[in-house]
Amino acid sequence: MTDVRKFTVRQVSVSAAVLVLLALYPLAVRGSFPMHLMIMVFLFAMLGVAWNIMGGYAGMFSFGQAAFFGIGAYTSSFLLTAHQVNPWIGLLAGGVVAAVAAALIGIPCSNLRGHYFAIASIAFAEIVRIHFNNWKLIGAAEGLTIPMQDESLRNFQFNSSKAPYYYIILGFLLLALGVCSWVTTSRMGFYLRAIKEGHDVAKVLGIDVVRYRMAAIMISAFLTAMAGTFYAQYILYLDPESVLILPISVQIVLVSMLGGAGSVMGPVIGAAILLPISEVTRVKLGFKGSGLDMIIYGTLIMLISVYRPQGVWGLLQKVGRKKK
Amino acid sequence: MGNLTRRKFLVSGGALALSPLAVTRAFAEGRTIKIGAVYPLTGNLASTGIDCRRGVELAVEIINGKYDLNLPLARTEGIPGLGGARLEVVWADTKGEPKNGQAEAERLITQDQVVGVVGAYQSSVTKTASQATERLKVPYVCSDSSSPTLTERGLRYFFRVSPHDGIFAHDQFRFLKDLEAQKKQKVRTVGVLYENTEFGSNVGKEDLKYAQEYGYQVAADISYTNNATDVTSEVGRLIRANPDVLLHASYITDAILFTKTFKEMGFNPKGMLTMAGYIEPGYLPAVRADGNFIIVRSTFALDLAKKKPLVGQVADLFKKKFGIEMSENAARSFMAPFVFADAISRAKSTEAEAVVKALRETNIPGDQVIYPWKGIQFDPKTQQNIHATGTLVQIQDQQYVTVWPFESAAKDVIWPFPAWKSRK
Amino acid sequence: MADQLLQQIVNSLLIGSVYALVAIGLTLIWGVMNVLNFAHGDFLMLGMFIAFWCYTLFKMDPLFSIPVCAALLFLLGLGVYRFIISKVMKGPGLAQLVVTFGVSIFLANLAVMLWTPDFRLIEKPLLTGTWSLGNVQLSIPKFAASVGSVVVSAAVFLFLKRTRTGKAILAVEMNRDAALLMGINTERINSLSFGIGSALVGIAGAFLSMYYYIYPQVGGLFGLISFCIVALGGFGSIEGAFIAGILIGLVQTLGGYFFDPAYKYALVFLVYLITVWIRPQGLMG
Repeated sequence: MTDVRKFTVRQVSVSAAVLVLLALYPLAVRGSFPMHLMIMVFLFAMLGVAWNIMGGYAGMFSFGQAAFFGIGAYTSSFLLTAHQVNPWIGLLAGGVVAAVAAALIGIPCSNLRGHYFAIASIAFAEIVRIHFNNWKLIGAAEGLTIPMQDESLRNFQFNSSKAPYYYIILGFLLLALGVCSWVTTSRMGFYLRAIKEGHDVAKVLGIDVVRYRMAAIMISAFLTAMAGTFYAQYILYLDPESVLILPISVQIVLVSMLGGAGSVMGPVIGAAILLPISEVTRVKLGFKGSGLDMIIYGTLIMLISVYRPQGVWGLLQKVGRKKK
Repeated sequence: MGNLTRRKFLVSGGALALSPLAVTRAFAEGRTIKIGAVYPLTGNLASTGIDCRRGVELAVEIINGKYDLNLPLARTEGIPGLGGARLEVVWADTKGEPKNGQAEAERLITQDQVVGVVGAYQSSVTKTASQATERLKVPYVCSDSSSPTLTERGLRYFFRVSPHDGIFAHDQFRFLKDLEAQKKQKVRTVGVLYENTEFGSNVGKEDLKYAQEYGYQVAADISYTNNATDVTSEVGRLIRANPDVLLHASYITDAILFTKTFKEMGFNPKGMLTMAGYIEPGYLPAVRADGNFIIVRSTFALDLAKKKPLVGQVADLFKKKFGIEMSENAARSFMAPFVFADAISRAKSTEAEAVVKALRETNIPGDQVIYPWKGIQFDPKTQQNIHATGTLVQIQDQQYVTVWPFESAAKDVIWPFPAWKSRK
Repeated sequence: MADQLLQQIVNSLLIGSVYALVAIGLTLIWGVMNVLNFAHGDFLMLGMFIAFWCYTLFKMDPLFSIPVCAALLFLLGLGVYRFIISKVMKGPGLAQLVVTFGVSIFLANLAVMLWTPDFRLIEKPLLTGTWSLGNVQLSIPKFAASVGSVVVSAAVFLFLKRTRTGKAILAVEMNRDAALLMGINTERINSLSFGIGSALVGIAGAFLSMYYYIYPQVGGLFGLISFCIVALGGFGSIEGAFIAGILIGLVQTLGGYFFDPAYKYALVFLVYLITVWIRPQGLMG
């Protein structure tokens, strides 16, 4: 099943309707939690889409995306707090730094397959986390606090309402979707899929495996870092424990797998399902301290992996087709 | 954006119109005042979070009931300034993550309409939660997070009741000076050991600062991962450095691991001054006699009851309600609800600005707190309680005994630390 | 200075051998069915808790709970394989990687629900104290755990090389299809391997419980390190896992001692990355 298809009228109208609904959401809801929830959904959807470019499409299952997330967040925050660089410029800088880091780790790791790559990505992310935790220049364990400034788009800070944050992350998500879509429908996407199917076959066919894998990793890292900067400007505080930890990387993979790795919209669906469940169960059940919310979460992961490993997106498409 | 300003105007206009109604409602019986509490109720620090919860729950019970205790608002039912309105706590689990601290604080304020927030034990979570309350202009009273940076941010709505790590670190060095002056025990070198999250590294920084100020040579400066599988390397370095005194900032797991490894590898400084982990309820049952002679910073000790019967009365109530001894964590979290209730009562209102003003004017006398403080009064600039001090307790015969300040000590400090091999 | 060095090396070997036992269980599973069990650290945690409850409820010292831990974890391994893992074997590789994450989250939080997040310690184990050998202090429980781990590892090695079932396991590891053609019931080998692998880490849990604290999330770091060890040693290789385990123990302890304790785990991960760049299949893969 490929995503290389012409857009039907139906698809366009459904997409437009969904976008309109999403645009109106902030005006319809009251209270901070529903907004926060949707922002988290979009954030992780974006992270999942970014992951998908190297994971779902190129078969490089990274369990270390938190490294790029953190690099993005830290780069822009450090530039802002130490050198008063505008966070939007910091955003681009963070993306570049993350892409460079991805290239540096990607070159030696591009030959690793499957499990080895996964563990190497975890090892890499942990090294980054431990280093940042001890690096006094960027605050080490204390982290960085972004000072409250006048709210404006230029300052990338909004205090009286979450709505601007909502629209920005939605915009980022659409950008990521666009990039992913471009990758998959372009020649690069074709090559990546070939590489995923058979590394050696691809080589024989003359595809420059290393080059395309590197490109995928770097694009993925750039987008992930953008999400990191958003997080930093949203929460206004970051430390290694909040942006560089393994559970974040795992959540990113889960979101993509649940929704459907290897399809553009998969991670979006995955995030739309997983994030509300984890947030809502925490709110409703978490305060008792019994761990029940996480038990539910773990069970869900097992169920999806066993019964629907190709993700939910395929299901939705089937349903959509049945309606005809 | 035009929509928003119009809505704001309508909302504030409506509020103005309704405010006399609100005031009269305040005097009606049966009203509850909601306070939000954000703590790590699940996750790695859950046992501590639940311990803190016990302190808060006991406090609220005392405030709402009628108790013959010399605590603010204990002898009356509920909050007298609002006609006996009851205090209710709405709990939220942060799972120990800063982003949840922010989200939960916001949710409690916007959804549950809490008029104040307490928590969150971990300084990193308190940071984000209090940024949220600052944005939403709701008061936050913290009595259990110890990072000095919390009261250095210039926030208007954030108040801290308990001492911070800078104060604790300073206490430990003042103790060393007192030890030299009064007990004639000289100390020349110190080893600074700290776990490498925000808590530990802040303490490490403060320790290094005071070591320099007081003229002690730093023989070792070691930071470590707090859930290490093994601490052979760290202890090896300490043995090699051979400091006179060890200053250790840790959580409970590393406290246990290090104690065992110190014994196993034979690390024998003249004294050990420690923080946090060594005073957690789980520490002594885990290490038992091996904990003896270790000195820990504390805001609370059960033996304070000798000089201050109030402490004993509260500790008894705690034990009756929960079946375990009141720990330092529970004791610290205990105070925040009182500070809130006292302020709300004086303000005769739950309106944020009035409560904040009342908080700034807080003046709870020393005999109404369960700590050895002169009272609770907030510094006008930092809003840190200026009377918050610590004491040092030493583990003797597997009990925590107050040993410093020497004037309020329950027993003499045992110094130097007897070598492991010489103990039975 | 020299005596600290010896002490550090001795302790590296002590922790390294326990790491090795944990890794052997993992590499067996990985080698046979190409499944990376992310819940391995949580199985370790369960082994530790079983030892703890045997101690608390039945006054059994961890030394005597070893068989109990092994048996219960074996059954758990069988169960997890039969009801969960076997069902994803035919699916996409990603699902296989992810499902064990679900098991991990589930088990860790089940432990929280059943036993609270509090830390437990076995307060009076039979083996306590330290031997003074010259300038080296040898912790008796750690030494016993280490010796035990070596003995069990050797036993596994012999089992695989000398017994019929063991050889069948090795055959499947080497070439699944060929083994099938030779009439080996690969499904049965799968379950058995998962069971044995889990039993081994359960034994490691019993050993660790003699001196380490026990709580629901204790599996985290141990699990992470064991993944690196297995990949470093070469997946499927028992000898590789053992050697890599010792190696990592040395890197961690000596690295922490000479370089910086705050970076000791970063060094472990770095050594792993470097080795795998140079030799992607691991030391003995």
